[in-house]
Amino acid sequence: MSKPPFKRVLIANRGEIAMRVMRTAREMGIETVAVYSDADRNALHARRADIAVHIGPSAPSESYLRGDKILAAAKQVGADCIHPGYGFLSENAAFSDACEKAGVVFVGPSAHAIRLMGDKVEARRAADAAEVPLVPGLKDDVRDDAVLIEKAAEIGYPVMLKAAAGGGGKGIRIVHEEKKLLQAAELARNEARAAFGDDRVYLEKFVTRPRHVEVQIVADQHGNVTAFGERECSVQRRHQKLVEESPCSVVTPELRERMCDAAQRLARAVGYVGAGTIEFLHSEGEFYFLEMNTRLQVEHPITEMRFGVDLVREMFRVAAGETVMECPEPRGHAIEIRINAEDPETYFPSLGSIRRLNMPGGPGVRLDSCLYRGMEVTPYYDSMLAKLVVHAEDRPRAIERAIRALQEMRLVGVATSIPVALRALQSELFRSGDYDTSILEKIDRRPPAEMIDVGMLAAAVGHYLHTEEVAAPSATDGLGPRMPMWKVVDRVERLGRRPL
Amino acid sequence: MKYFAKFGDIEREFHFDRSGGQLRASCGDRSWNVDLAMVGDGAFSLIVDGRCYDCLIDREEGHSVVQVRGERMVIDIEDERERAAHALASARTGGRQIIEASMPGIVVDVKVEVGQRVEAGQTVVVLEAMKMQNPLAAEADGIVSSVLCKKGLAVAGGAALVEIDPPPEG
Repeated sequence: MSKPPFKRVLIANRGEIAMRVMRTAREMGIETVAVYSDADRNALHARRADIAVHIGPSAPSESYLRGDKILAAAKQVGADCIHPGYGFLSENAAFSDACEKAGVVFVGPSAHAIRLMGDKVEARRAADAAEVPLVPGLKDDVRDDAVLIEKAAEIGYPVMLKAAAGGGGKGIRIVHEEKKLLQAAELARNEARAAFGDDRVYLEKFVTRPRHVEVQIVADQHGNVTAFGERECSVQRRHQKLVEESPCSVVTPELRERMCDAAQRLARAVGYVGAGTIEFLHSEGEFYFLEMNTRLQVEHPITEMRFGVDLVREMFRVAAGETVMECPEPRGHAIEIRINAEDPETYFPSLGSIRRLNMPGGPGVRLDSCLYRGMEVTPYYDSMLAKLVVHAEDRPRAIERAIRALQEMRLVGVATSIPVALRALQSELFRSGDYDTSILEKIDRRPPAEMIDVGMLAAAVGHYLHTEEVAAPSATDGLGPRMPMWKVVDRVERLGRRPL
Repeated sequence: MKYFAKFGDIEREFHFDRSGGQLRASCGDRSWNVDLAMVGDGAFSLIVDGRCYDCLIDREEGHSVVQVRGERMVIDIEDERERAAHALASARTGGRQIIEASMPGIVVDVKVEVGQRVEAGQTVVVLEAMKMQNPLAAEADGIVSSVLCKKGLAVAGGAALVEIDPPPEG
């Protein structure tokens, strides 16, 4: 093994991304330090790291968002770098600053770059200056109701309200008519204040047939910026991504080059170092700058599968001053499906404990997950439990592989986004490649007729066998003794729940 | 005995017969040979006329959650006796709306007070869960008769938050 760029990394995160970072660190010979809250004592990251430090109560504001506690933990265990993952402190400029002052390397961009790109209003200005195309909208937060109404009318409905400090789809509201504008602005501000402690929102045009296409870059400290192609992330619900793929079927080689150039230009203009994603809105052959995420993105694995790279490794390498790799030739097609604990009808979070678990496997399948049997899904954190990633020779085969792997995956205890993702992947609209961010509203969400038949029959047979056993527990009918299955289930369940 | 299954707006009535030495299920003019074997804790192998379905069946009060080939279906299920019992018990409480927490979360805003008149679609409570704020609205016009929550309160899914009486006649 070549000499590791760092001795010990503190991973300032939880869930699947903490596991993801831990895996690469381990492969590179970097010791791993997990931090955990009360609710996460049993979480995989707190069990599998080399060192684990308790940092406080379950609420993120008392634990994973407490930069002071995390930095103190890093000092206490002698970590020489901190990887923030995504969410939590990953785009917190003050934290990046504090790390630098404390002499601990922040595996991510400088406070300056985070501040600039993390503020959506500032980011638009920077993009504009770097000649990256923008969606029509306001460059400032507007507080005056009358002015807001007037400006929205000027831009033209529908309009979008976005949190200035937002990201990951949080704090976004679409408004179709004037009479809903002010209420939406209030909700957007409240959400923004609760999620980011910053209630500034800005207004922009909501473009037609929008596709969300983003470019992955990694920049080093020597001015090199490598662009690793694009990801298509238009399959969304509640403005949050559900299925992502790479490449995007409507991006031509010429357009790809322009998008990658724009992304590299912006990264250079702001002196960016580390992994970053420039999100574009693609609309009818044109693209507009949406925002830059100054961190590792949830959907980074599809880029890794297609290009055969390890982006977390590149992050560690450039953070240590090494030169970023050049972009290898991409191969095939990759798709990611986010497995969220949520009701597939309402998309509301689904809480509970994971009582049974079947993981998918086989050729071309990767599962990035924090799941284990007995895991509690609590309301404290994001509802994403795992990411299923597949890679195949071409798009049609990747779709079939994704469907096959999804059908192998089972979770009992919470509802998940699996059925919705299946509907999307099986739809003609998705297969055609000609879809936009409204795809989930357009497809039939019902299971196929055969599965409805089987499901209803299974429920009825189960109920019949159960009532029959209750009526005659020891009945035999010439078929031999029947297993009192529901009793066995109950017993196993009880045993499973007994504390160890 | 009849078994009634309901999935969304699809309702079916099943009959079972073991007399031929094999479990036979029928629904309308369709029928199948059925074999359901438990292979583990809640995992079942269902073979329907020779076709295999690896299922998970979770029986809960009044419904079963069936998972098969990536699908997850919540199916209301009751037999003849249960249906009769339910019909008897469902004496209705006319008119009153109860705004319930659509999920476990924290009440971040209560926008109404007792005695206030509300219109259909009007937000009465804002609930936050997993970083999302969700406005809960009145389904019909009415008068707020009680407010059962306050700002900052953590509530369970299904918890009653606000009660709204129908508006007075005329």
